[in-house]
Amino acid sequence: MAFEPDNSALMTAQRAGVAGAETLPPAARSGGAELTSRLLPPLFAVLSVVGVWWALYAIYPRLLPSPLSTVQEAIRLLSDGTFFFHMYQSLRRVFVGSVVAMLFSVGVGIYMGTVIMGERFFQPLVVLGLTIPGLMWALIAVMLFGINEFSPYFAVTVTIFPMLVINIWAGVKSLDKELMDMSHVFHFTKWMKISQVILPQLVPNIFAATRYGLGLAWKVVVVVEMFGTSNGVGYQVMKSYQVFNMEGVIAWTLTFVVAMIVIEYGIINCAERRLTAWRPKIDVWRR
Amino acid sequence: MAELVVKAAEKWFHREDGSPFKIIDRLSFEARAGCVTVLIGPSGCGKSTLLNSIVGLEKLDHGELLFVNNGRNQARPLIGYVFQSPRLLPWKTIGENIALALKGAAVARDGWSSRVEHYLKLVGLEEYVNQFPLYLSGGQRQRVGLARALAVESDVVLMDEPFASVDELTARQLRETTRRLCEQLHRTVLFVTHNLAEAAYMSDYVVTLTRRPARLDEYVTNPLPTPRRWGPEIYNFAAQLETKVTLKEE
Repeated sequence: MAFEPDNSALMTAQRAGVAGAETLPPAARSGGAELTSRLLPPLFAVLSVVGVWWALYAIYPRLLPSPLSTVQEAIRLLSDGTFFFHMYQSLRRVFVGSVVAMLFSVGVGIYMGTVIMGERFFQPLVVLGLTIPGLMWALIAVMLFGINEFSPYFAVTVTIFPMLVINIWAGVKSLDKELMDMSHVFHFTKWMKISQVILPQLVPNIFAATRYGLGLAWKVVVVVEMFGTSNGVGYQVMKSYQVFNMEGVIAWTLTFVVAMIVIEYGIINCAERRLTAWRPKIDVWRR
Repeated sequence: MAELVVKAAEKWFHREDGSPFKIIDRLSFEARAGCVTVLIGPSGCGKSTLLNSIVGLEKLDHGELLFVNNGRNQARPLIGYVFQSPRLLPWKTIGENIALALKGAAVARDGWSSRVEHYLKLVGLEEYVNQFPLYLSGGQRQRVGLARALAVESDVVLMDEPFASVDELTARQLRETTRRLCEQLHRTVLFVTHNLAEAAYMSDYVVTLTRRPARLDEYVTNPLPTPRRWGPEIYNFAAQLETKVTLKEE
């Protein structure tokens, strides 16, 4: 009699996922579910703000403009092209000032973290810089350089520079000594040490500093534009304020917030995900 | 092929209160060319300090480290180093980690990929070339560390308790791989361990050190045949070594 293999036990085990039995890999999370889990929380956050605004408008209609009329004003700004021109001017000022500050702060932060004399020299200057409000720099910049493009660049750079340096300096202080030793043992050049060992370790600090720095840069640029330029979002907000156009002020603020969200989610988050792809995802609250 | 000669090495450290203490005291021995010399001694006796001095991470206070090639002294060459933890750059793939060591060793760029492939194959990880280190197991990462140290093709390779942080089964596999590669590639290897069976298995020569400050206690030739195989004779030799060294804290 021929031997008939009985696979029923194996098949049952496979269905039940018993250890040792061949099983199919679990299905990956669908793209839709992933997108929903990513979009829903921030959407709820925005909706909750709009809800509070609407409630306040319902209670004090003379205090706040209605969300609807503000959105209509925002749509008008977008459709006639005013928004894009002025937003571009503000973005350019924020971008140039931030890039200059970032370049200097990476250099100074690494120098402070690695050379004791550098730390002793720059530390009091950085602490001093942190105590000076951005508004003061905005005023000083306009008084020093007048109404021109250099004022916002200067004000943004000097306002965010100390805060960026503090972050990068802290990051350099906590560099992994073992990796630095490894780079020395394998004869990495100075540039290899900076680009391959030091800067990648500073990525979380640089992103934290960029987020905070951009927020601060926007505030400074708006202030400078209010009294030191003839274009930009700050200038437009001031214009609306002078004719007591509340819808205009809030519409400009909203469009400005939308631009910030686009930068945060469209650029910074994407760059961060790309640069930290090497790190496995950690689920802290897993049970 | 270079021989490493440690001559009257002396190293002092300072305690937190500033008082000095000697960690290595007039230590002299040689790591013969093309052989594995195992350094054993009590914990904290200065074995890792000695390796760090050899690669230039520390500086000896007295004494000399000589790299002798065909009877001539040469300047400190590039040295392959297998650390206790793998010390791989987590943001670089396995292949890139090894390639960076090759760049540091001034190997021509067009030779990188073939050399990376070759040494990953030797440690059995060729299919992981594009994987990031954090996605590998501890044993696999240690293999990459071994591949990196060998890939720079330096005459001298230092190994500082390279298998201390992995489980015993993985450590045994890694020992077998490392010993096979040492026999195959004929590098001058200085290997630090606490594990006497590991010392018996890996060594051609064993240098035993005293308690801190480290001095040369004994220089023992391993009588076991090569290629080395695990067996009772390994444990017999380990037992002999145990009589020569007291692995206890100060």
